[in-house]
Amino acid sequence: MSEAEKAGVEIVAVSPDPNERSQRLAEGLHLGYRFVADPDLAVTRRYGLIHARGGQHGEDVPRPTTVVLDRDGVVRWLWVSNNFQVRPDPNDVLRAVRAL
Amino acid sequence: MKAGWLTALSIVICGAALAAYALLLRVPAIRNHPEGYVAVFAIAATIAGLAVALGRRWYAWTALALTLALLLGGATFNFVLARIPAAQSNLRVGERPPDFTLADAGGRPVSLGDYRGKKPVVMVFYRGYW
Repeated sequence: MSEAEKAGVEIVAVSPDPNERSQRLAEGLHLGYRFVADPDLAVTRRYGLIHARGGQHGEDVPRPTTVVLDRDGVVRWLWVSNNFQVRPDPNDVLRAVRAL
Repeated sequence: MKAGWLTALSIVICGAALAAYALLLRVPAIRNHPEGYVAVFAIAATIAGLAVALGRRWYAWTALALTLALLLGGATFNFVLARIPAAQSNLRVGERPPDFTLADAGGRPVSLGDYRGKKPVVMVFYRGYW
């Protein structure tokens, strides 16, 4: 069982990609991930998480972001990257989930 | 002779930094401090500079050119290209973000509301494959 399942949390991964491959991989590994596609970045934009012209070809891309929502859908923990090489420490995310 | 050793040392340090960063990318402490490789390239360039000062051999000059190129390239990548300009997101701790419905990989609709009252959710926004 993954750490996410143990913590009883759903992981929803949002990107502009269709993600069939990632979903198959996640299901094969029994990871409780849902990969959802935001092809035109409408949701990413509404959330204010656009890195303008940050893509390889000058297109807009999502700013790497991790958000922990409690059972009521309220944001309890938020991490927004200011360098695309950097990601949150998974232990910090788990800690935020366990603190709910 | 000393110039030769210092030259070799500067090259080995660069190679080790590149290998460590690539191999240990899954370790958060390594991944989240990319300025570390820039610092190591700076150390290697300094050592290559010492080698040039001691020997003025072609190999010392080559190592100096190589380490300076890595330092410049690494610094530009980390401090300029990889930097995401500061911007205020519309998400606030303690607030409920607007719901959305997006299709998952199987074409099934997913909404934040599906989980309300049932499960906490970790939303991860990422750039996708590139």
